[in-house]
Amino acid sequence: MNNHQDFDVIVIGGGITGAGTARDCSMRGLKVLLIERHDIANGATGRNHGLLHSGARYAVKDAESAEECIKENQILRKIAAHCVDDTQGLFITLPEDAETGYGLDYQKDFVEACLKSGINAKVIDPKEAIRMEPSVNPTLIGAVQVPDGSVDPFRLCSANIVDAQLHGAKVLTYTEVTEFIKNGDTIEGVKVRNTVTGEEAEYRASVTVNAAGIWGHDIAQMAGVNIGMYPAKGALLVFAHRVNNVVINRCRKSADGDILVPGDSVTVIGTTSTKVPFEECDHMTVTPQEVELLLREGCALCPSLATTRILRAYAGVRPLVAADDDPTGRSISRGIVCLDHETRDGVKGFISITGGKLMTYRLMAEIATDAVCKKLNSSAQCQTATTPLPGSESTGVKEVSKKLWGSATQGQKAAAGRLGAKAAEVEFNSPEDKQLICECENVTLAEIKYAVKHLNVNTMEDLRRRTRVGMGTCQGTFCIRKAAKALAIAKGEPETADKLAADFLSERWKGMKAVGWGDTLREMEFMQKVYKAGKPDTYKD
Amino acid sequence: MQEINISEHNFEQCQKCGICNDVCPMLAANPAYPGPKQAGPDGERYRLKDKEFYDYALKYCLNCKRCEVACPSGVKVPDIIQSAREKYNTHKSVKLRDMMLASTDLMGTMVRPVAPIANTVLGWGITKSVLDGVMAIDHRRTFPKYSGEGFEKWFKKKAAASQASFKHQISYFHGCYVNYNYPQLGKDFVTVMNALGYGVNLLDGEKCCGVAMVSAGMFDKARKNAENNIKVISEAKGDKVLTTSTSCTLMMRDEYKEVLGMDNSSVRDSIVLALKFIYELVDQKKVKLVFKKDYKARAAYHVPCHMEKLGWSIFTRELLGMIPGLELILLDSNCCGISGTFGFKKENYEISQKIGKPLFDQIEAVNPDFVACECETCKWQIEMSTKSKVKNPISILAEALDLEATAEANK
Amino acid sequence: MKFDVIIIGGGHAGSRVACGLQDSGLKCAVITSGRSIHGSTLAQFEKKGGMVLADDEITNTCIQDSKLVSVKTEKLGDVVLEAANFVIATGKFFSKGLVSDMKKVWEPIFGLDVEYSEDRTTWYTDNFADHQPFLDFGVKVDETSKPSIEGKTVNNLYAVGELLAGVSCAEKDDLAAVDATADKVIDIIKAQ
Repeated sequence: MNNHQDFDVIVIGGGITGAGTARDCSMRGLKVLLIERHDIANGATGRNHGLLHSGARYAVKDAESAEECIKENQILRKIAAHCVDDTQGLFITLPEDAETGYGLDYQKDFVEACLKSGINAKVIDPKEAIRMEPSVNPTLIGAVQVPDGSVDPFRLCSANIVDAQLHGAKVLTYTEVTEFIKNGDTIEGVKVRNTVTGEEAEYRASVTVNAAGIWGHDIAQMAGVNIGMYPAKGALLVFAHRVNNVVINRCRKSADGDILVPGDSVTVIGTTSTKVPFEECDHMTVTPQEVELLLREGCALCPSLATTRILRAYAGVRPLVAADDDPTGRSISRGIVCLDHETRDGVKGFISITGGKLMTYRLMAEIATDAVCKKLNSSAQCQTATTPLPGSESTGVKEVSKKLWGSATQGQKAAAGRLGAKAAEVEFNSPEDKQLICECENVTLAEIKYAVKHLNVNTMEDLRRRTRVGMGTCQGTFCIRKAAKALAIAKGEPETADKLAADFLSERWKGMKAVGWGDTLREMEFMQKVYKAGKPDTYKD
Repeated sequence: MQEINISEHNFEQCQKCGICNDVCPMLAANPAYPGPKQAGPDGERYRLKDKEFYDYALKYCLNCKRCEVACPSGVKVPDIIQSAREKYNTHKSVKLRDMMLASTDLMGTMVRPVAPIANTVLGWGITKSVLDGVMAIDHRRTFPKYSGEGFEKWFKKKAAASQASFKHQISYFHGCYVNYNYPQLGKDFVTVMNALGYGVNLLDGEKCCGVAMVSAGMFDKARKNAENNIKVISEAKGDKVLTTSTSCTLMMRDEYKEVLGMDNSSVRDSIVLALKFIYELVDQKKVKLVFKKDYKARAAYHVPCHMEKLGWSIFTRELLGMIPGLELILLDSNCCGISGTFGFKKENYEISQKIGKPLFDQIEAVNPDFVACECETCKWQIEMSTKSKVKNPISILAEALDLEATAEANK
Repeated sequence: MKFDVIIIGGGHAGSRVACGLQDSGLKCAVITSGRSIHGSTLAQFEKKGGMVLADDEITNTCIQDSKLVSVKTEKLGDVVLEAANFVIATGKFFSKGLVSDMKKVWEPIFGLDVEYSEDRTTWYTDNFADHQPFLDFGVKVDETSKPSIEGKTVNNLYAVGELLAGVSCAEKDDLAAVDATADKVIDIIKAQ
């Protein structure tokens, strides 16, 4: 054991909540250590819609969540402009909704509730809705426009981590907590192990924050407390291109597959909600039944999905806190739960922050940091609602690329779209740097080098979460050898390239096989051939 | 529940295999062009997200269709690219030079009445350098000759009256090239059809098919012409409208729908290259071809890119294969580099010649009596770049047939 | 239009059959939709005088008395393509020799009998590195390489290459197994 380092606060979990908490704590002058057992944004953070909720979805049943959402919605548009796409959203009413009690009368209640929560909901003519979003189900009988958008959770999480580091925080990924260091009823720190090297270490801090999402359940147990969490699996499907440019929701009680979000170069339909055992949380798979259900509901929102290729399926686990015996978890509040285990369980120096959602991560972080500061007797005020995240200062493909490069290449434009003002730090020094490695997502060698240098990248999956490498139509079939080689060289370990590629494809494979028919099955055959038999160098006859 | 994937121009069926890049003549010759994969399906995904991803280098696409022919996934790559040029290009103004090159009918009308002078003038070095400097038309380019008497005028004067006497009737879309540049091909066509017992009828006011307009970005003008042509073709005499130009044929059959978004379903199948029509007549024993006993020639056959796309070169090979004295050597599949008006533009001259070089070299090596080729712009390019003359297979038939005996056999 | 043999599919196996038969003096045509990722010898075949219908699709098939008489294609329209023998070499999923949806796998041109599992979850394994069961799916043939439609053999239609059940070159850069199926059919047709 070595590394006896002391911190004010240890944050467990590199999801959006942990990243946000680390940022907030470090901005308030605290010495922060963030520990993540995999990569940042690996859990529920990276496995959701990427919807910038307006809050409208919660307005009727849960006014508190709705109000939180719309406030955070407006804040994120300012502080994370480069992660947000202001698509606007529609809540549509279909003819069959009238039969289930969610006709135009419900729409009236819905709009009223939205307005009460401060959400600018506007009833628009169905024809206007079709003009606004041509892919919407043309049989709709009602439409409400709300300020929904999409938000890239990987970039958002990464920007929080980067900013925390800029404020002095230490970030350890691929590091798991093996044990708490306890002194009587006080938690004084953690013992950790690097999951790659096996190296062990101890870190001490006055306060430890459990921000581990659904895995926070186990962390709490390790600390000797019980949170009673409710793992609610949500499955989603990714379509191969941007089918819609406006978020489409169903104007009815929340149900499966009723939100269609355009996210970057794809469209995502989701979700389902089913309770799963804790032991399954690490190995989520999407069942054929879930795929069929999502597809059926998706087609009701947007009929052209019936003929659109599905790239993959994935699932995340919502870290809900159980309240009653609801088998779906739909009626559990999506509200924020912050537990001071000293007052609740008599365990000192330990706080859990859970519940909530991607949308309210900043508020969750603020609440958790307030609790930390209270324990440390610090009066530092939260500034995260007004201080832009790195990259957010200037945004937009056009604005950023014009400023930086004048006439930009596709790869530079894409970097500008992903990194905002931070694209200035991507070094396009040579023609090779400008070369596209991932052609589907326009990722250049320079952007890969930048990610390795500045964004805590170890594996191809990490690289994917920072750059979208391998997230496109071919799921890495065409580019992954090149990308893995670039990563391995950038890491200074060129001999690991094959392993990096193989691990990545195994991950991609799992998502593809859930939807492995039609063109996706063709791609799977191609992927097998390229990697196992080796694609011929040339196609010449 | 899911049907087979259908998306505009099948763009989503792309599996990213990259075969398109492998066959693209432009990518090989011009590093400024991103290649069909990036310009087409890859780029389209990003353009759907943000129109800022439109890349002006898309103008380099020759629309030769080689990528589409090679694609194992049925992606209509060139249609994606051409449509993107209309949807996302914000620099809409068309250069005067491009407009003039594209308006093949207008240019024809303007120049033709004084053709001998125009040809002389166009042939002068001094005019060529004016074209080069002012109009950015390359001075090394041999300009297609404008013919003195247009095909239509000749037809009305010399041929129209006798057509009704034939037992079968057929219509003819001659296109700008035949009318303004090379009426002889139209005359050869009428001669052959008459010998087969078919009377030829012109359409009631055909307009330029629009292929050059699309490549110049004049989509609306092309649409107007398409509308006119669909109408006059639907009113045509006989159940087929025959053509002698591959590019006009491809444009009217496929691109009216895929690129211009027009409904051409009522006329598509009636637009047929004359070679295919004649082959079918022979195959079904509806007509008989009698060839001259003494015809002898050694020809190299260059399949134009658009003929490869139409998939009809088999008919040319079979038909010409029937001529006893003709030795037909199939050239390797290569683009000649001119691509309609592309090679006429000063900035494209070098690239155009670089693309065509393998073809030119092979023609020089084979050293045939002439090159057989259905495309008019390939003809200009090959005649300018090699010492071989180029003949349309219809003209070859007109030469090789014993016209009197054929007419007798088909009475 | 009449040929001795029409080969449907111009990839590695199809072009091998085409070259082999054209060499033995038979008049052959290949109908193909797009290039093969495994490469082909179609250019040589054309040089030998063979006809290639590139980027085309079969739109109509005429089977009479257990014999395939003719096919039509999208590009050739009404032109009837007749042959004494036909060979299908359309490959697996990538080349669309086999087509799949959520529930089933089929051969799209003739509806040939296909070997596959009806439970989609068994088409693949969790691990990318494993041998993938779907790569074994394919058309069933008898000992003379003839496929069947609803159990009935078509007497002058042969299937070769990766289209066949159990034949795949996905896992090794070795086309020997594919070549063997092609050579067998070349011999059968030549012997007629």
